[in-house]
Amino acid sequence: MSGTTIDALRDVPLFADLDGDELARVASVFKERRFADGETVIQQGSGAAAFFVIDSGAAQVIVDGDERRLMGPGEHFGEMALIDAGTRTATVVASGALVCSGVTFWDFQPLVEANGVIGWKLLRSLIEIYRSDREN
Amino acid sequence: MSEIVALLDAHDVALFGSKAAGLGQALRDGLPVPPGVALAGAVVEAVASGDGEAIGRVAESVRPLGGPLAVRSSAVDEDGAEASFAGQHLTLLNVPGADELPSALNEIWWSANSDAAITYRQRVGLFTRPSVGVVVQLLVDPETAGVMFTRNPVSGAEETVIEASWGLGEAVVAGRVIPDHFRVDRAGEVIERIVGRKSIRYRGLADGGTVEEQVSPELAEELCLGEAQLRELSRLAGRCEEIYGPARDIEWAIADGTLYLLQCRAVTTAGG
Repeated sequence: MSGTTIDALRDVPLFADLDGDELARVASVFKERRFADGETVIQQGSGAAAFFVIDSGAAQVIVDGDERRLMGPGEHFGEMALIDAGTRTATVVASGALVCSGVTFWDFQPLVEANGVIGWKLLRSLIEIYRSDREN
Repeated sequence: MSEIVALLDAHDVALFGSKAAGLGQALRDGLPVPPGVALAGAVVEAVASGDGEAIGRVAESVRPLGGPLAVRSSAVDEDGAEASFAGQHLTLLNVPGADELPSALNEIWWSANSDAAITYRQRVGLFTRPSVGVVVQLLVDPETAGVMFTRNPVSGAEETVIEASWGLGEAVVAGRVIPDHFRVDRAGEVIERIVGRKSIRYRGLADGGTVEEQVSPELAEELCLGEAQLRELSRLAGRCEEIYGPARDIEWAIADGTLYLLQCRAVTTAGG
């Protein structure tokens, strides 16, 4: 897990409360995943297994067939998969060679279960995200 | 218990997956399986995570095989139903050698942890963490390859049904050709030959991966198996039934005139 990705995790709202050591623990369960140009990373409507941070390259976000925006290094997608493995709300396609770091909920769940402090901080962040969504 | 063993020593389905244990049993029974190494799910996971120690151990054990390699996932699941995961769990053909293996294992690990794989697992009621063993074998470079059923899958008749095409068997498995179709009775007599239309074949590239290439029109409509080869395949089918029981679905290849068994499993309605 690169330092770059640990930095990228700081920008994920779900991880906003985690300190450096906790972020490093989360980062330690990530695995690199490479995608070829045009390869689908996640598919809207599909079940969700993993959360990804882009290490290098770019990826197009597509919702209901419309291209919404291009993501680049440091950006992330799919974090809610870590909590409930719910349904993907967008499609993401590699735009050129794409390298991500990803973690599945299978790997994330035991980490949280074994670290109550991390779990509590995630819960707090989720409440903040929920309040913010309600206000907006 | 070792997490890396010669395919011959792969016994434990829970550790190495059903494909590895099945091929290990085939080797122990004297069937012509290409040499290989079985990797347990835990070591595949460690390599996929970039663990240098695990990468070194795997490279050391696989290097004597040489290359190119066929790298096949071998599902480790509570029901041992490898066939039902076909399509989600990846096979990578023509991986050049041990140095390229870590990225192949990473790709295979992710194939078992993809959105599609997780969705499938939830649909069939599997809520446990996926574990994927791997079989690494020397890739044979076949003149002819295909599939074979030890019972007629349509009529249920006691006869061997063989489907064959030029080059790697993926052309048949992926439905990219109309293969030659043969039926051979239990005495080894060929009772039906239907020439297919084998317009393409897959072959390995020097730097890894496979390529689809056109076959000449004459070759496309020439039977790719002769009498002696059909008899040999029929004998292999019979031997597989003796060892594993009736109704087997077999993948095979003939390279430099030698017949190889690539996979032998029970016929499933899931297919693939």
